[in-house]
Amino acid sequence: MDPIYLAGVNDPATYINWGWLSISVPNLIVILIMIVLFALAILLPFPKGRDRS
Amino acid sequence: MTTRTADRAPAAKRADIASREWKGPWRRYDIVKEGVIALVVVSILTVLLAGLFSSPDEPPLTFQGWATSAPDNFYATAVQELAGTSTSAGYGPPYNTAADGISVGPLAPQQRFGVTHPVDAANDFVITPLRSQLQSADVTDALATWDSASSDQQTAWATDYDTALTDADGDATKVADGDYGPVPVLAQGLTDMASAGALDGILMSQGVFYQTDFTKQILFLGDGSYLDDAATAAHLQGNTWGMMNETGSYPGQAWLWLYSFWYQIPQFNSDNPDDYLTSHADAIIFYIMAVLSLVLLLLPFIPGLRSIPRWIPIHRLIWRDFYRTQPKS
Repeated sequence: MDPIYLAGVNDPATYINWGWLSISVPNLIVILIMIVLFALAILLPFPKGRDRS
Repeated sequence: MTTRTADRAPAAKRADIASREWKGPWRRYDIVKEGVIALVVVSILTVLLAGLFSSPDEPPLTFQGWATSAPDNFYATAVQELAGTSTSAGYGPPYNTAADGISVGPLAPQQRFGVTHPVDAANDFVITPLRSQLQSADVTDALATWDSASSDQQTAWATDYDTALTDADGDATKVADGDYGPVPVLAQGLTDMASAGALDGILMSQGVFYQTDFTKQILFLGDGSYLDDAATAAHLQGNTWGMMNETGSYPGQAWLWLYSFWYQIPQFNSDNPDDYLTSHADAIIFYIMAVLSLVLLLLPFIPGLRSIPRWIPIHRLIWRDFYRTQPKS
């Protein structure tokens, strides 16, 4: 029996071509998520712990 | 001395900063707890995403698939292996001594390490597989004729047929008459074997019982157009950022963007494979990346580059609570 996946991603990806730059949409999504996480890590305030002093 | 005094001043300033008492808030921090939380979160995410997306499930490339979908190309490649004109047969070290290998200036690693993984294209890819199975009478006779001929005669038969086949645009039925010895029968015998699926198992079984070395299969596949066409279809060619890509709609190795970037420069992938930068692209790009890696490693010691955090003070954003309380310098 063939396995059933909730999301099939074995079909060919869509590629965005911009001049000499070519990037797949899945790669672009991952890169954008990394940039967003980086921005959040910088901008979000540190959680406030119990001050010892 | 003046010089010593000049050196001592910045050093004293650094020591002063390092020994300054921390005036900001303190709080308890448990690195083990943080590590455990990270492990649990990543494990849950891994299981969830694996269940949702699975992993790439591309059908394997096989010799049977090659010989069935492109029999003319497989046949022509078998002839090239016999003639020693295929890419792998003329590669040089580490597989054979047919060429010196790529060198950039005094750096010639292929020559330096020599032939460490010997591959005899004609025998490993054609003759030995044919001999490993019971063949039809004409192939058996062709093998006997090949074995009884001198090495020069074998090469002459195979190169003449390879040239004639190229002149006929790869169509074996249009090859001009000539003395090609047993080469056409051997090439056809191997094509038939591959079409039936026998070659995949036989090439795999060369060597040890539990085979994990697929060098020969990959070299043979790489000599024809089958592997190349599959790579093009899956956007995996080096000159189309293929190093970053993955089969299907999965994200690939995006972190290899810089390594892949150099291959997009026209000088490294020109249409003329004899251009120096194109023919030496792998070696030159490897050295470029090695130099850049050294620069990254030695960043704290490189004047100018090490001052970038002062020009782009992202750390002041991260530790803004602390810097807000500090007097502006």
